[in-house]
Amino acid sequence: MGVSSPAALSPRPKPPGSHLAVPDRAKALSGLSRAAKPPASAPITRTPIDGGEADMAEQMNDALRSQFVSGARLGEGTYAIVYAGHYRHDPTKLVAIKKIKLNADFKDGIAMDAIREIKYLSELSHPNIIKLHAVFSTKDQNLSLVLEHLPLGDLEGLWKNKSITYSSADIKAWSNMLCQAIWFCHANHVLHRDIKGNNLLIAADNTVKLADFGLARSFADPGAKMTSNVITRFYRPPELLYGCLHYAGNADMWSVGCVIAELALRQFFLPSETDLQQLSVIIDVFGTPSEESWPGVGSLRYYQPPPNRSAVKLPQPLSWWRGRLPLLGDDGIDMVRGMLAMDPQKRLTAEQALQHRYWTSAPRPTKKENLPNEGGGMKKEGEDLKRKGGETPAGAGRVDKVARKLDFGGM
Amino acid sequence: MSKVTSRANGGQVRQGEAGGASPLSKSLYSLSLKPSSRPRTDAASDVCPVCKSSRYLNPNMKFLVNPECYHKMCESCVDRIFSHGPAPCPIAGCARTLRKGKFREATFEDLKVEREVDIRRRVASIMNKEESDFETLKDYNDYLEQVEEITWNLILKIDVDETNHRLQRWADAQAAETGATRRTYEPDPSMAGASGVVLKKGGTQRRALETSSGNTTDTNVKDKGFNFHGLKKKVAPPPEAPFDPFDGWSIAPQYYTLQNDYDADWLTKHKREKEQLVGGYQWSDFYNRALQDAFGGLTVFIDDEIRARDIPSGDAAIGTERAATAAAGGQDVNMDDIF
Repeated sequence: MGVSSPAALSPRPKPPGSHLAVPDRAKALSGLSRAAKPPASAPITRTPIDGGEADMAEQMNDALRSQFVSGARLGEGTYAIVYAGHYRHDPTKLVAIKKIKLNADFKDGIAMDAIREIKYLSELSHPNIIKLHAVFSTKDQNLSLVLEHLPLGDLEGLWKNKSITYSSADIKAWSNMLCQAIWFCHANHVLHRDIKGNNLLIAADNTVKLADFGLARSFADPGAKMTSNVITRFYRPPELLYGCLHYAGNADMWSVGCVIAELALRQFFLPSETDLQQLSVIIDVFGTPSEESWPGVGSLRYYQPPPNRSAVKLPQPLSWWRGRLPLLGDDGIDMVRGMLAMDPQKRLTAEQALQHRYWTSAPRPTKKENLPNEGGGMKKEGEDLKRKGGETPAGAGRVDKVARKLDFGGM
Repeated sequence: MSKVTSRANGGQVRQGEAGGASPLSKSLYSLSLKPSSRPRTDAASDVCPVCKSSRYLNPNMKFLVNPECYHKMCESCVDRIFSHGPAPCPIAGCARTLRKGKFREATFEDLKVEREVDIRRRVASIMNKEESDFETLKDYNDYLEQVEEITWNLILKIDVDETNHRLQRWADAQAAETGATRRTYEPDPSMAGASGVVLKKGGTQRRALETSSGNTTDTNVKDKGFNFHGLKKKVAPPPEAPFDPFDGWSIAPQYYTLQNDYDADWLTKHKREKEQLVGGYQWSDFYNRALQDAFGGLTVFIDDEIRARDIPSGDAAIGTERAATAAAGGQDVNMDDIF
């Protein structure tokens, strides 16, 4: 593009690993949000560091932007537009470019979702977490996230597609990749807070990758409050439904358990219409929580003790689980039940889950290259990436705007 | 359909019959006069050598052969003679014991071709090496030549016993090498005295067992029947490593050890809070994070990391130098919060 002297601005041929992308971006944006600036595409011929009119951040941004070629539009949501794209120097290296729309709620800065996404994706580098190649802004102050190209749809599409058959070994392989991603997030003290089937995208080599960090945050300090209105409802753990403000990684683990059960069931595990109904659906399966089974549950904000003894429900027995999730086997059921313990203190942590005997018992997880997939194509990634966090795909039979109202007081 | 119309139809049919040949009788007539679809080489080919019935009398006659002796006879003869168990071949001078189950239709008109094809099929199933199994092309060609020699020995009935035994040993050795289930090799039944036909099933099984056990000891003495030059050693693939649910990742603190509990005044206040515990808040997570934050930068050398990136190092150097001078020069480029 406009960069005529290559030495002018430290263009890294590879996109900067996510570390540098954030400050660049923040710098450029703070510059942009102030008033008049020279157009970003101004040709840079002099050494800009010696007080040129375009500041260094803007030039870095331009250099970064010029590395990518944006292609067909894949999808548009309320939050972002997703384009297919590729590296300019190598058209075979595909990317997805997620262009965040200007948000009326955040006139003076970047949408919170985008900040969260950039912040945590640039910190996490793991094969089972979507890779953020770069972040740049365009002239119209739109922020673009250059994300990994993940063309094979998502886990929810996989179990919904009845033309695909899969086995218990396949479920184990997918679940393991999911658990690794969560473990890595938690080991780095990042809460994802929106784990669900359609945030688990599938790469061209059948790797499951955790995406959409729009609701992520780091673990809270002691005493700090977090919002309880996160995580898509079907996957929301009971403590959040009871309005708990101090939770940890085990809130994510409930969602993981739901996703694994969903894969084995090929339908939503705990579907409901409202938050209240969600709680009753959970209690139908896991029994009414009591002070014995969950110490301190009575102190939660929205907890109501059962009115009489007849209203108390008992947890479903093991035979119910065996009948419902035969694909998981006894070890898998044991692990999923560990992840879906009502009391978060008793729930398996991500590390404990990965140490479970389920992974090493027969059958061995399918190798990546042998996993079944649906050739969803780039379109599906567009669908998945354009959503806001907590939003569900249209037509899924759910009321959307699940986790939209966020309380940023706890940030 | 009403009665009236059916009666009317019946009348029409009767009229048609009266008028001349019906379509059915026509087709029967043409069938009986049609020459046999089977090409005849000579008159004898359509006469059963056992019962002397000919195709003229029985148009559906089918000839079967048994690979024991490849003598042809008609289906009804096979049924008649062999239905009650094994019996000697009725062709004069043959007298080999045949079983009904082995009779089949010949694929080829010429039964010599039939026999050769059978032998070739059997030899090829045992001698199933491919070019990739050999070190050089010449070794492979030598092998092919040897296989052809074995085949012709069997076809021309030269050293049949010896060749069959060697083939059997070779098959056993191959099975032992691949760890496959043993496939019992049946010696060519058309060879006289190959192993002698035993009438009782139990007897054959016992004999097969004896020979196979005898041959396994043979393979241990490494007499494989044949010795091919340049055959690659079969290397069994190493056993798969047990599945690692962490896929090789580990995040363990290197510079500190995490205790179960830490005492600090500002923490004890929160530790007693019920709200902290009921939601599953993990104190160990907080301790770990605090320590990780404190020690996180140790032994991280940015220069090394940049150099290690798979990019032309020149550009990277320019970039970092520029940035460094900019930062040192007190420009408005703030690189402090680079991470």
